[in-house]
Amino acid sequence: MPRPEFVYVTYIETTPEKLWEALTSSEFSRRYWFNTELKTDWKIGSPFALVMNGTTTDVGEILEADPPRRLSYSFRHVRDDDMRNEKPTKVVFAIEPHGKLVKLTLTHEGFAEGSKLLDGISRGWPAILSSLKSLLESGTALAIPPSALGIEGMS
Amino acid sequence: MNKPEFVYTTYIETTAEKLWQALTDGDFTERYWFGHRVASDWKVGGPYQFTKQAKPTIEGKVLVSDPPKQLAYSWDSCSPEAKRERTSRVTFDLEPRGKVVKLTVTHDNLDEGGKTLRDISGGWPMVMASLKSLLESGRVLDIYPPSAAAKETTCA
Repeated sequence: MPRPEFVYVTYIETTPEKLWEALTSSEFSRRYWFNTELKTDWKIGSPFALVMNGTTTDVGEILEADPPRRLSYSFRHVRDDDMRNEKPTKVVFAIEPHGKLVKLTLTHEGFAEGSKLLDGISRGWPAILSSLKSLLESGTALAIPPSALGIEGMS
Repeated sequence: MNKPEFVYTTYIETTAEKLWQALTDGDFTERYWFGHRVASDWKVGGPYQFTKQAKPTIEGKVLVSDPPKQLAYSWDSCSPEAKRERTSRVTFDLEPRGKVVKLTVTHDNLDEGGKTLRDISGGWPMVMASLKSLLESGRVLDIYPPSAAAKETTCA
């Protein structure tokens, strides 16, 4: 039986340094992450928060920060009533040069069986990472309507 | 217990019609799919085949052809190791969402722990990344294929 987790791989025409910056800078994240800001100083053990349109949606702490190779934080949803009581999960970004491209592997793990948060993030990450790839390759993020994700509370 | 399946979703700034063409036109697939050309008349029940340098690599039957919304085909790999595995199935769902198209590829009916599952789990993210870049920028990603593709064998 596979553990409940979400893994997503993509290949981006960029450098590991630029991808690291895109994953850690609110200037970038506001553009590809549905107007989400990243509130943290990226030091191991520091608090971390995702703030979407001024509302904190998810919190955690920095577990690993090894630029430009590996970034990890714990992740707990705090907005939706059904999901805020789920146990903390873990997000890991692995950045690897792949020829002239960069391979990005996102692993989001640590979910309980039947997790509603797992369903939500499984819809969210492909949109966020698709938009990130477009932004880094073309300079323009995708205009994905938030309602397209089919996530409660995202519209 | 369900058979393993692989699901991958990406969002592409294009139209459903252009995306359909990119999935069904050999001149297009050759550019983003590691040199693999697809050929078919895309009629349900009819055959399709991928070839690389004129040698067959993947073949099967068209199961669903509903342009520009859904395309599905059966999938038999031509590699000897995968030949013993069951015939799997690939389904593409194209859903316009504002100015972008949501593309979901579902590859199911796979053998547990088989070569096909291993190959396609590494392959689809590359093919989808390359397809997205080509449709959005007009340029092909300079992506080198999975090592397995280097020693391809044919159906013949």
